[in-house]
Amino acid sequence: MNVLVLSGYGINCENETLHAFEEVGFKGKIVHINDLIQNPKQLNNYQVFAIPGGFSYGDDTGSGNAMAKKILTNLYDQIIDFSLKDKLIIGICNGCQILINLGLVPSLNKKDPEVAMIENKSGSYECRWVDVKVNNNKSPWLKNISAMHLPVAHQEGQFMIPINLLKSIKANNLIGLQYINNHKKLAKGQFPFNPNGSKDDIAALTNQNGKVLAMMPHPERAFYHYHVPNWQNNTSKKFGDGYKIFMNAKKFFA
Amino acid sequence: MTNTIQILSIEKTGKESSLQKEHNNKSIKIIDGYFFSRNLDDQKFTKISKLISNDVSQTILTKKNVNKVLSSYSNFNWVVEIKFLPGVTDNIATTVKEIINDNLKSSFKSFELGSTKIILIKGRKEDITKISKNEANPLIQTIKIYPFKQYLNNFKKNQFKIERVKLPKKKYSKKEINLDISDYNLSLIGKLGIEENDKSRRGTLGLDLESLKTIRNYFSTIKRKPTDVEIETLAQTWSEHCKHKIFSAKIDDIQEGIFKKYIKGATEKIIQLRKDNFCVSLFTDNAGGIEFNKDWIICHKVETHNTPSALDPFGGAITGIVGVNRDCLGFGKGAKPIANTYAYYLADPNKKYQFYRQKNKDPMLPANFIAKGIISGVRVGGNCSGIPTPQGNVYFDDRFAGKPLVFCGTVGIIPKKIKGKLSHKKKANPGDIILMAGGRVGKDGIHGATFSSEELDPNSPVSAVQIGDPITQKKMSDVIIRELRDENLYSSITDNGAGGLSSSIGEMAKESGGFIVNLEKVPLKYNGLYPWEIWVSESQERMTLAVPPANVKKVTNIFNARGVEATIIGKFIKKEKAIVKYNKTEILNLDMEFLHEGYPKLNLKTSFPKIKKEKKKIIKKSSLIDKLHKLLSSPNIVSKEFIATQYDHEVQATSIIKPLQGEGRVFGNATAIKPLFDDEKSIALSQAAYPQYAETNPYDMAGCSIDTAYKNLIVSGANSKKIAILDNFCWCSSDEPDRLYQLKEAAKACYDYAVAYQTPFISGKDSMFNDFKGFDKTGKSVKISIPPTLLISSIGVVDKISHLTKITPDDSDILLVLGATRNELQDSVYSKIIGYEKSKNPVVNSKDALRTYRNFEKANKLGIINSAIGIDLGGLGIAVTKMAIAAKKGLTIDLKLKNKISVDQFLFSETQSRILVSLKKNKLPNFKKIFKASDYTIIGKCTGSDVVEFKDNKKIIRGKISDFAKSYKQNIKGL
Repeated sequence: MNVLVLSGYGINCENETLHAFEEVGFKGKIVHINDLIQNPKQLNNYQVFAIPGGFSYGDDTGSGNAMAKKILTNLYDQIIDFSLKDKLIIGICNGCQILINLGLVPSLNKKDPEVAMIENKSGSYECRWVDVKVNNNKSPWLKNISAMHLPVAHQEGQFMIPINLLKSIKANNLIGLQYINNHKKLAKGQFPFNPNGSKDDIAALTNQNGKVLAMMPHPERAFYHYHVPNWQNNTSKKFGDGYKIFMNAKKFFA
Repeated sequence: MTNTIQILSIEKTGKESSLQKEHNNKSIKIIDGYFFSRNLDDQKFTKISKLISNDVSQTILTKKNVNKVLSSYSNFNWVVEIKFLPGVTDNIATTVKEIINDNLKSSFKSFELGSTKIILIKGRKEDITKISKNEANPLIQTIKIYPFKQYLNNFKKNQFKIERVKLPKKKYSKKEINLDISDYNLSLIGKLGIEENDKSRRGTLGLDLESLKTIRNYFSTIKRKPTDVEIETLAQTWSEHCKHKIFSAKIDDIQEGIFKKYIKGATEKIIQLRKDNFCVSLFTDNAGGIEFNKDWIICHKVETHNTPSALDPFGGAITGIVGVNRDCLGFGKGAKPIANTYAYYLADPNKKYQFYRQKNKDPMLPANFIAKGIISGVRVGGNCSGIPTPQGNVYFDDRFAGKPLVFCGTVGIIPKKIKGKLSHKKKANPGDIILMAGGRVGKDGIHGATFSSEELDPNSPVSAVQIGDPITQKKMSDVIIRELRDENLYSSITDNGAGGLSSSIGEMAKESGGFIVNLEKVPLKYNGLYPWEIWVSESQERMTLAVPPANVKKVTNIFNARGVEATIIGKFIKKEKAIVKYNKTEILNLDMEFLHEGYPKLNLKTSFPKIKKEKKKIIKKSSLIDKLHKLLSSPNIVSKEFIATQYDHEVQATSIIKPLQGEGRVFGNATAIKPLFDDEKSIALSQAAYPQYAETNPYDMAGCSIDTAYKNLIVSGANSKKIAILDNFCWCSSDEPDRLYQLKEAAKACYDYAVAYQTPFISGKDSMFNDFKGFDKTGKSVKISIPPTLLISSIGVVDKISHLTKITPDDSDILLVLGATRNELQDSVYSKIIGYEKSKNPVVNSKDALRTYRNFEKANKLGIINSAIGIDLGGLGIAVTKMAIAAKKGLTIDLKLKNKISVDQFLFSETQSRILVSLKKNKLPNFKKIFKASDYTIIGKCTGSDVVEFKDNKKIIRGKISDFAKSYKQNIKGL
């Protein structure tokens, strides 16, 4: 099991993302986008393609846009090919924004992006812990997970989805994660439970076969128990909730 | 054909809603504009538009649709167009250019573009003027206001213009400066700068008459005239910023100066006493380094960026944070930045001060504009670089109205050994190539900020301020840390900060002997720079490396493959000479010794200052609960959560003690990160400064800063033997004997307390003239000086995860105060908010303090302490309420008063070295085995109810936790 973790141009969560994969049993490598463009065939050696969080191109022209355009110009066919095989793709935070801008998620009808990531309703950057739940999604990334406590850290985390598309996203169960409140009910847009005002409290989307997951919260930052706020009150577990995502990737190939 | 692409969000953006709210106007829309230097044909327009927009969320404006699209939002009638002045860093434009180049390859070449913010409103001209004042800074941006009709017309007729740097084509000929002139004319060179042929002056050199005479003597000995480049270089190298002349000057009877005697002296004394390997690299490098574990070193550096932040708050602050990141990259062979810290000392953002740099013109920026700009500058710098920013604080005082203080710090980590060699040692060898990597050179930062806005005409690049570009730096940093360092491909490295190449190469060449630089090789942002400008420019995002010739090709190839420019600009030599050439003409040739040590040493005298007595303020009668609410909601105590949540403190997945603590999210005094996946050791960080105590007693002020910064780490669980501190002195009027007296006193306290606590100073910096000289709104001249401010930053190692403490007590816990409480309300928050009563200023007794700290450490390691919080601003009363807010659990406090102090004194005195702790009941016997009865007071317990109650004799006073939380989490007015 090999994971390729993308880096370069302001992506910045590659180390901790690779660590999380390695800790559950993957072998992995951080690969600079320019090296991948030079030698795209190396993708054949990997089963998981991970785009970590960060600030590629400083979010200029919209978060994830510039990096998505770089991939689109230089690597698009190879990535599409990867997504059609029995392999997994994950985009976390900036990675999620890149996947959305590439149109790989939800990828219901056409090549162009169908969803947009726009600025948080609060107008400010939000670094805070949230609760999310999994709702009837068949993605291998989310298997057997009901809810997770994870941090978000973004300026543009609001999913903007045209109404008709939202209907088919729901019909196809492509909503991966939704923000919930302190009573474990949907946040209904209420801040800070829903930190960005996303429609239908959407925190993650998948493509149709569920193998591509685009999520705004950071599972790699909730990997160990001591990552979780106020962990001193609960030291019995070794791992935080983010661990489950990486374990699911392992189980998929096991 | 068109020369602009303009994009707007279909839905209201966060920025638009905040503007609409702020200006109480629902008809405000923002357009992202890009102006091109060439016309785009329809095909290119469509293609490029698609590349830089998103058709789900945005609409692209065209000549055909512009009127229709915009009128669907409102009947706009005014427009403001905000774009950067020529030469100012435009990060968005850089990205757009890169996207276009990557996608269109060679089919669309050699074009310039500028990003523009266009704001449309329906309203009056005054309204748009007001908005433009809040959204733009005339020092770095052009602001054009015009009617909406004209905007439509501009659109139709392609009349949006990009202003490019157009410097006159000049041919450089070597310029020699005659110094054999009158003292008066000589001093003019120092004050106003070198005279150009057209009689204009280049801007202040900051050289005094004595320095200029020293330079004259040197050149008369070597029998030639100096060149302009030589004088500029000496001015940079000898500046207060680079040489710290005041700290190294003879002061009264202290021959060696206060730095050597008190700061370095303390560290040397401690090293001599400790006999361990804790201190690795001190004072000599870009940052100070200590041992983290057997394989790793951590370094820490804190810088200030005050003057630039007063002129351009966003640019000044972002440059401050990415600049100090480079200090880490330049530590040893290059440490990876793993945490940022910040501390802002600001004027009240809710007040209108109205000061002017010149009579009735050139106004200072409003206090809230400065505060917001600084906060967001560090946000963008830190977040975009992927470096967590867990630790910081903000303090408000009117005396910062003339100049804000912006402290930016970075912690770095580096393996002890790289390929078997000690990583903190570096040496440029003779023959090594000088490689400049990263950004290009423009007129940024030349001669600091001496320009007023009148002098900036649209075609001259802005040289006063720099704006950091975190992405360019991140790309460069990744290459250095990941691909070059561990392969040992270079022999030395340092950053380009103040003084630019003249300073970085000059410093590094001390390792080899000297250097030869060919300035025409340096890549420029635009043509037309004079050689001296290239040499001293402070353009950001650049590192200088010494690379053995055999590795040069490999190193430049790696940089280039990652989209980073790297250029050979000279070589290091053995001969102790500094030589600079421009197109083969030698324009600088100085002895290294004279360059670095030739400056005249100062001889300073101090005198005891007149102490201004604090004006009596009647204490307003109010209830205890009311006083608590007033203090909790005062700007210096109120929660700084709004900053913590906009600074990413989770990136790198190292945050283990977060800035917001407990269920109730209280803004903590210390934070911790766990930097390595395979070691449970953590780094605890804190900081403290007490400018409010400075005028009363600068010695005690410094003592309190050190004590608080140290205490916060002890409370967080750090190992007392592994704590180091950093000093950042921000002073005022340092040419006045009474200010120098305060400085000397504070430095003396630094020695005394650092030695007592055994905490070495590992790095520091000073900024000596934080004064504003200008005019008030009536045209009267004013001088506003900051209160002397000493920021002590502390960094410590926590050996085990289980040693990390929390601030939240559990039900039935007993509450105790460690350390005695005295009547020390002078200069306290209480005295400022509630009123002044006869009292003393806080004084640290290091012996008592250390007993408390050692005992606390012991008890914590044994698991006796359940929760703890350091007591500081606002005293015990505030510490108690913060604990309750954090835990969302009620506390009962018994006001059994000791030593005849009043309830208010007991609860609000700012007596130092105290810790509020909670224990599980059954731990009390073990606790008593460690602590003597006189060293603590049991003050109550945790009830788990929803109230905090104070029992005073038979009276019980109650306040609801949720109400306290409301006061504590109030918004700061003006922000």
